[in-house]
Amino acid sequence: MNFDWQTEENEIKKRVAALFDHPALTEIEAMEEAAPAGLKNLTRRYLGRLAEIGYLGLAIGPQARHEAMLLLAAQEETAQVSGSLFLTVETTARLFGGLIAGFGGPGLGREILEPLRAGQVIGAVALTEPGGTDSSSGRRTIGRAKNDGYLVSGTKGFVTNGLIADWLAVAGTVDHRPAFFLVQQGQTGLVLGPRLKTLGYHGLAVSALELTEVEVPSNLVLGPFDHDQALSLVRLVQDLILTIGSVGLAGRTLSAANQYARAYHRGDQPIFAHQEVRFKIADMVTLFQTAQLLTRRAVWFYSQGDREAEVLAACAKVFCAEAAEKIAALSLQIMAGRGYVSGNAVERGYREAKYAALAGTTSEVSRMNIADELLRRYPA
Amino acid sequence: MDFSLTEEQLMFKDQVLKFARNEIAPRVQEHEFKAEFDWDSWKKLGEFGILGLHFPEEFGGSGADVMTAVLAAEALGEAGVDGGLTLSYGAHTYLCADTIFSHGTEEQRRRYVPKLATGEWVGCMGLTEPGAGSDAAAIRTRAERKDGTWVLNGSKIFITNGSIADVAVIYAKTDPQAGHAGISAFIVEKGTPGFSVSRDLHKMGCRTSPTSELVFDQCVVPAENLLGQEGQGFMMSMQTVEWDRSTLLAPFLGATQFIIERCARYAQQREQFGRPIASFQAIKHKLADMKIFLEAARSLVYRIAWCKDQGRALNHLEAAVAKLFVGDWSLFPTNDAVTLHGGYGYCHEYDMERVFRDSRLAPIGGGTSEVQRLLISRLM
Repeated sequence: MNFDWQTEENEIKKRVAALFDHPALTEIEAMEEAAPAGLKNLTRRYLGRLAEIGYLGLAIGPQARHEAMLLLAAQEETAQVSGSLFLTVETTARLFGGLIAGFGGPGLGREILEPLRAGQVIGAVALTEPGGTDSSSGRRTIGRAKNDGYLVSGTKGFVTNGLIADWLAVAGTVDHRPAFFLVQQGQTGLVLGPRLKTLGYHGLAVSALELTEVEVPSNLVLGPFDHDQALSLVRLVQDLILTIGSVGLAGRTLSAANQYARAYHRGDQPIFAHQEVRFKIADMVTLFQTAQLLTRRAVWFYSQGDREAEVLAACAKVFCAEAAEKIAALSLQIMAGRGYVSGNAVERGYREAKYAALAGTTSEVSRMNIADELLRRYPA
Repeated sequence: MDFSLTEEQLMFKDQVLKFARNEIAPRVQEHEFKAEFDWDSWKKLGEFGILGLHFPEEFGGSGADVMTAVLAAEALGEAGVDGGLTLSYGAHTYLCADTIFSHGTEEQRRRYVPKLATGEWVGCMGLTEPGAGSDAAAIRTRAERKDGTWVLNGSKIFITNGSIADVAVIYAKTDPQAGHAGISAFIVEKGTPGFSVSRDLHKMGCRTSPTSELVFDQCVVPAENLLGQEGQGFMMSMQTVEWDRSTLLAPFLGATQFIIERCARYAQQREQFGRPIASFQAIKHKLADMKIFLEAARSLVYRIAWCKDQGRALNHLEAAVAKLFVGDWSLFPTNDAVTLHGGYGYCHEYDMERVFRDSRLAPIGGGTSEVQRLLISRLM
């Protein structure tokens, strides 16, 4: 057992922190207002910088899960800076890149993964369909064989990075077996948009997409699989990303509320002097530290390939998503009217916090999954 | 970072679990109902080596590390050992025996620790008074020098093991004007003239552990029974916090695992509306929440133990976070366990109401949740 970060992990933390200097933070702030074209430019710039410091290529795919703790050390820093940037980067590297690394052939490594690791590719993964399901049995996105490839048709909603991605991995089926189709921005038959207006994460380009007989050659198809192993991996990795994002969000809002409580005076003393305020902050610190440690433990089990990782990841996702919501709500209460005005970390955090509980595996489904595992372990 | 446990630690935990399930848990209901201390179980704990686990072999222990001691305490709770017995064990081993071992002279160590480590003698610790709980500096029990001895006058309340203890570590003011620095510790043996137990208190939970009021009326203690240096008593009592936030919290973790197993099995046996209640989402969510609490709390408690094993000074912020989280949040799963069992949960024979009552001590004993919030807000 060891609760300390190791030398290599501390070094990458420092490298990431150094990247986000004041000018960078100002630029990243602009993501929240940017149109897709501007967002794409900013994303490319930061993917490039993260690639330079060795962040982007870490722990891509199940084969590299042993690097997950090193990656987590870096992710904690990025997630604390900006939720939008963090989700954009992780969707590209760990979700989209992870699928290619885990289930793509060697040719895809050269064509897609190498430029992705160098920060030259933005990726997206399209899972959810208008019917709400993402399991293979209910998918209506279908690839029909034609010549040396497939014609793919279907509709997807809520695709993060959809509008700015160079490559998209679209979940579908081939002869009722699960598969992912890799399509490129601008391909005939692919229609993206419109950009969805969302409660939070305004710096994310989320959109629907429609595919009408899009031609996908065989070498750009992952699968078809006998089981939903690729989707299971995507879900686990996505849930871990959302969990880490929640911890980052909790840290941002807690920090802002704490600073405010010490600086803002009522009468002749800072509001921090009042137990009603400082006890709220104590509860927030407790939730934050607990969430952070639970996440680290879940990621460590994932890095070891331990079968306990799935249930721990589910526990961490539910806890961290809900802790982030509570922390954001308490922070807003402390900042009162000043927090309610748009354009500060707490107001943004409050809007963004809801996302993790409903994205990926929802808190409700996660709880069902955890309980099902317990019922299996302890039969009547 | 590394969250693994060693093979030896896991094996020992398993041994304690089996021992406690076979030898102690079957005796719990009878003694708990009568609110009487279970001397046979105490003897068995001593014979198994649990009461002196971390002391060196020459003092009757086995030299275990703190993490192993935490796992043993967790295993007791997991086996269904009541909070009363684990509380008596914690107060005896860590608040009394360890204080003598850590601060006593060689003669004091040799006289008391081996007998405490085997359970031949029972130990207690007396700090709290009717007018001084969280505010330790407010204690009024006085110790004055007289003819080469110390004379103690005052009373102590809520003293775990008070009425069954052979030896007590008692904190008293040797310099009433010096605040914390005026507190000293004394070893007081049962039968010392002027030392008496005025009453045992009837409690809501942890009922097999006697909770007593002690009276010191011109109680003459030999000069050599001063523990450590004069004026260092408060510091010594604070050092027990490391144990309190690790080994004394661990049984609450174990108790949560105990109710998870019981609830999962019961939910699959109990049928309502023609199907097992485990098939209802509301029941599954309760089960999941128990597991989420357990995993979140585990990380916090293990961190305190690991730091102590590294020889690090206690991080008071992390300790307060662990105490606050386990204290406040452990009430939810135990409450849900009673609800999940319905009418049976409310009845003594199903253990759930006992675990529920026992858990209510967590946010009170060893420092209330409010004091933890105060500490966290001061230390952050």
